[in-house]
Amino acid sequence: MTSQRTAILFVLPALVLYLAFVGLPILQVAAYSLFTWDNGTVTGFAGLANFARLIDDQVFWTALGHNGIWVVLTLAFPLMIGLLLASILAECSPRTIRVLGAIYFLPRTIPLVVAGIIWGWIYNPMFGLANWALDLVGLGVLGGAWLAEPSTALYALNVVGAWTFFGFCVLIYLAAIQAIDPSLYEAAQLDGASWIKRFRFVTVPLLKPTTLFLGLYAAIEAMRFFDLVWVTTQGGPGYDTEVLTTHIYKTFFLVGDFGYAATLSVVLLAIVLTVSGVSYRLLRSA
Amino acid sequence: MNATLLAAPSASQTAGRRSVIGAYPAGRLARHLILVLFALYALAPVYLVLLASVRSEADLFSGPLSLPWPIDFSNYARTWNESGFAHYFLNSLIISTGSTILVLLTAPLAGYAFAKLDLPRKELLFGLFLAGLVVPAPSVIVALYGNLQKLGLLDTRLGVILPQAALLLPFSVFMMRTVMQDVPKELIEAAVVDGASPLATYFRVVLPVVRPGLMSLALIAFLFSWQEYLLPLVVIQTDDLKPLTVGAATLQGRYGVDYGGIAAAGTIAFGPLVVLFLVMQRSFVRGLTAGAVK
Repeated sequence: MTSQRTAILFVLPALVLYLAFVGLPILQVAAYSLFTWDNGTVTGFAGLANFARLIDDQVFWTALGHNGIWVVLTLAFPLMIGLLLASILAECSPRTIRVLGAIYFLPRTIPLVVAGIIWGWIYNPMFGLANWALDLVGLGVLGGAWLAEPSTALYALNVVGAWTFFGFCVLIYLAAIQAIDPSLYEAAQLDGASWIKRFRFVTVPLLKPTTLFLGLYAAIEAMRFFDLVWVTTQGGPGYDTEVLTTHIYKTFFLVGDFGYAATLSVVLLAIVLTVSGVSYRLLRSA
Repeated sequence: MNATLLAAPSASQTAGRRSVIGAYPAGRLARHLILVLFALYALAPVYLVLLASVRSEADLFSGPLSLPWPIDFSNYARTWNESGFAHYFLNSLIISTGSTILVLLTAPLAGYAFAKLDLPRKELLFGLFLAGLVVPAPSVIVALYGNLQKLGLLDTRLGVILPQAALLLPFSVFMMRTVMQDVPKELIEAAVVDGASPLATYFRVVLPVVRPGLMSLALIAFLFSWQEYLLPLVVIQTDDLKPLTVGAATLQGRYGVDYGGIAAAGTIAFGPLVVLFLVMQRSFVRGLTAGAVK
C-alpha cells in the first residue's frame, strides 16, 4: 500500500504539469466548440452548429487537402531518401557514418523559423540561389517566384520540410540497420546477391517496423506543422499553402472566432489521435 | 557492422564487376555520389547564410556563393546591439533552461515509477501520456491563451516555460521509462534492504546509473524549447521578453532588405544548437533513437 502511494507521488509532478497545461486545455477546447462566442465571451449554446460550418468552409477543405499532400510527400521523399542513404551509409567506415550522419542531421537543429527565412532567400526570384543555379545549368527558363506562385508554393515549402527531416530518418534507419544480424547480409552476398538485391530483399523487409514508426511520426508532423508556413507564406498566396494549424491561428487571433477555432482544433486533434491510434495497432502487430 | 563487406571487396570484383577506377566498382561509386549529393543539400543553405552574415553591404550582389570579402562582422554587432538580439538570446536561454529543468525534475521520476514501481492504473496513466505524444500545440492554444491570462502569466517567460515543459512531457516520460527499464533490479533491491527511503534510492542509486539518459533528455528538451515558435509568439507581446525564434521572424518583417542583419540573426538563433549538437552528437542520437528503435 505504501509502495503504491510512493509510486503515485513519483508520477504526480509530471501528471499535474501535463494535465494543467495540455490535458485541461484539450477538454476546454472540446467544450468551447459547442458554444457561440463574441469577443472572448460565450453568447450561447451552439450544439453542433460550429461543426456544421465545416461543410461549407472552403478554406478548411483546402487546408486539409494541403495537409494530405504534405503527408504523402513526406512519406515519399524524406523517408525513402533516409532509407536509401542509411543503407548506403551502413557499409561505410564508422568515421564516415559519424561525419555524414552529423551533416544530414544538421538541418534538424536549425529552428524551422530560421529554416524558413533561409529558404525564403533561396527561393527569392531576384537573387535567390534556386534560380541562380538553374541559370547556371542553362535551365533559367524554369526559374520563378517559387513561394509566390500558386502552382509551386506548397511543393517549394515541402522541399524545406524534407530538408529538416531526412537526416532524422537517416539516423533512425541507420540504428535499425545496425541492429540487423550481419550474417543475413553475408549469406546474401555468398549467394551472389547484388547491392540492390540485398537492399530489396534483406534491408527493406526487415525495416518494416521502423518504416511504420517513421511513417506515423511523419504523418503526425505533417498534420500539425505550423512554423514553416507561418514564417514564409502565412498560408498564401491566396490559400495555396493554407494548412489546418494556420487556419486555426487565423480564426483565433485574426478573426477572434473562439468557437470555430476550437472546432477546428477538435477536428485536428481527432485526426491525429485516430491516425496514431490505428498506426499504434499496426506497429504493435508488425 | 558489415565489416566483411569492407574487408573483402574482392568477392564482388572477381564476380566480374565493371570497375571505373581500379578497385572502385561503378555501383559503389554511384552510391557514394548519392551520399555526397545529399550532404550538399544539407549543407548548402547553412553555408549560404553563414556567408551572407559576414558579407558587407557593398559586396551583397557578387553572387550568393562567392566568398565575401572583406569579411565583415558588423552585421553581428548591429543585430546584437541595435535589433535587440542580446535580449532575445537571453530570453531563449531563460525559457529553454527553465523548461529543461522542469522536465528533468518531473519526467525521470515519472519514468521510474512507470518502469519500476508498483503504480496503480499504470496502463491507463501511461496511455494518457502516450496520447500526448501527438497533441498539436496549435490545438490547445485556443484554451491555453485564456488560461494563462487568468493566471496572470500572459506576456511572461514563465507563461512560455510551463506549457513548453508540459508539451515536452509525453516524449520525456516515454523516453525515461525506456531508460529506467535498464536499471538493474538488484541495485534497487540492495538499496531497499539497506533501509534507504524510496526517494533516497532514486537520487543516490538510480539517477547516477541513468546519467547518460538524463543527458540525452536534457539536450533534446533544450533543443525543442529553443526551436519553439508558436508558443512564445502567442504568449509574449513585449519585445524585451521575446526569444530568438520570434525575434528573427519579426526582424525579417521589419527590415525586409537588411539581408546581412537577418543572416546574422539567423546564425545567432541556430548557432548554439549546432555547436551543442556537434559537441554532444552521441548523446543526441541516443536520445532521439531511444523511443524509435525498440
